[in-house]
Amino acid sequence: MNDHSELEAELKKLRPRAASPGLSTRIEHALAATATTPSAGVLSKRRNSRINWFGLGLGLAAAAAFVVLARVNTDRTPGKTQSVLGVTTPVPFTTVAPEARGSFVPIGLTQVVYGTRDEGLHFPKGTDQPVRRLRSQKRETLQWRNPTTGTSLRLSYPSEEVTFIPVSGQ
Amino acid sequence: MEDVAIDENWKVCFAELGPGLVLFARQFVRSVADAEDIVQDAFVRFWKKEHSIENRALLFATVRSVALDLLRRDARRARREANAALEVEQSTQPQFDFDDDSQRELAAAVDRLPVEQREVLVMKIWNELTFAEIGDALAISQNTAASRYRYALASLKKNFVSHE
Repeated sequence: MNDHSELEAELKKLRPRAASPGLSTRIEHALAATATTPSAGVLSKRRNSRINWFGLGLGLAAAAAFVVLARVNTDRTPGKTQSVLGVTTPVPFTTVAPEARGSFVPIGLTQVVYGTRDEGLHFPKGTDQPVRRLRSQKRETLQWRNPTTGTSLRLSYPSEEVTFIPVSGQ
Repeated sequence: MEDVAIDENWKVCFAELGPGLVLFARQFVRSVADAEDIVQDAFVRFWKKEHSIENRALLFATVRSVALDLLRRDARRARREANAALEVEQSTQPQFDFDDDSQRELAAAVDRLPVEQREVLVMKIWNELTFAEIGDALAISQNTAASRYRYALASLKKNFVSHE
C-alpha cells in the first residue's frame, strides 16, 4: 500500500508553468537552420558510408607500382631464355632502374614456402632422363621504399613454383 | 504521437513535453530564461540526432547534460545558482501555477528538497517517467531512483505538514 498516495495526488495538482511562446519559435528557427528537418522516432538513422581515401590511394599506388614493375621485368632480357628444367613464377625485382619506378626503390623480397608436393617421376619429351617434379606453394612479399618521403610500399601475393629435378639412373 | 512523420511533428511532441522539460531544467538553474535555453539546446540536439521521442530517458538525460555543461562552463553562473539554491525562500519566478496557498506551500516544500530528490520527483510526478526510465536518465539504478523518490515524499510529508 502506498502511504504517500494522498501527497502524490496533491503534487499532481500542481501545474508546471507553460513554456513561453518564444521558446517554441526559437526551436523552430534552430531546427530550420539545419538542411533537413529530421523526425524523431520515425526515420531510421542514416548510415554514414565513408571512403577510406588513404587506404584506397595506397592500394591504387601499390597496384600501379606492380604493373610498372611487371612490365619492366618482361621488357628486359629479350632473347635470353633459360634452358633449365624449371618453371618459376617470375619475380619482378632487382635490376629495374629506379627511374622506371618513379622514386620507389626495392628494399626487400620475402619468399615463404608453405607447401611442397612431390608429383613423381616424369619423362620430358626428347630426353631419356627422368625428372622428378616438385610443386611448391609460397607467398612472396615485395617491398619498396621512397627514400625521399620515407613512404614504403608492400605487395604480397601467393605463387606456385614447379621444379624438375634430374634423376640419375644408377 | 509515434505515428506522426511530418515536419511539424516536433511541435506536437514539444507541446506535450515542453512544460515538464522546462520544469526539469529549472531544478538546475533558477532563471526561467536559462531553463528555456537549456531545453531549447537539448531538444534541438535530441531532435537532430533522430532519436525516438519515446526514449524519454535519453531526452531528460540530454536536458540534464546540457544544464550541467552550462553550469560547468560558467563558473560565475554556477556560483550564482549555488547561492540561489541555498536560499530557502521561494524563487521570484515560481515553477508552478497555484490555485491556493496550500499549493504554494507545497511548491515551496518541493523547492527545499535536495536536487537529487527533486529531479527524481519532477520526472516521476510531472513527467510520468517510470523508475527504470529515471534510472537511465540519471545513470543510477532503478532501485536508487525509487529510493530517492520515497525519501523525497517522506521529506515533503514531514515538511509540508509542519508548515501547514
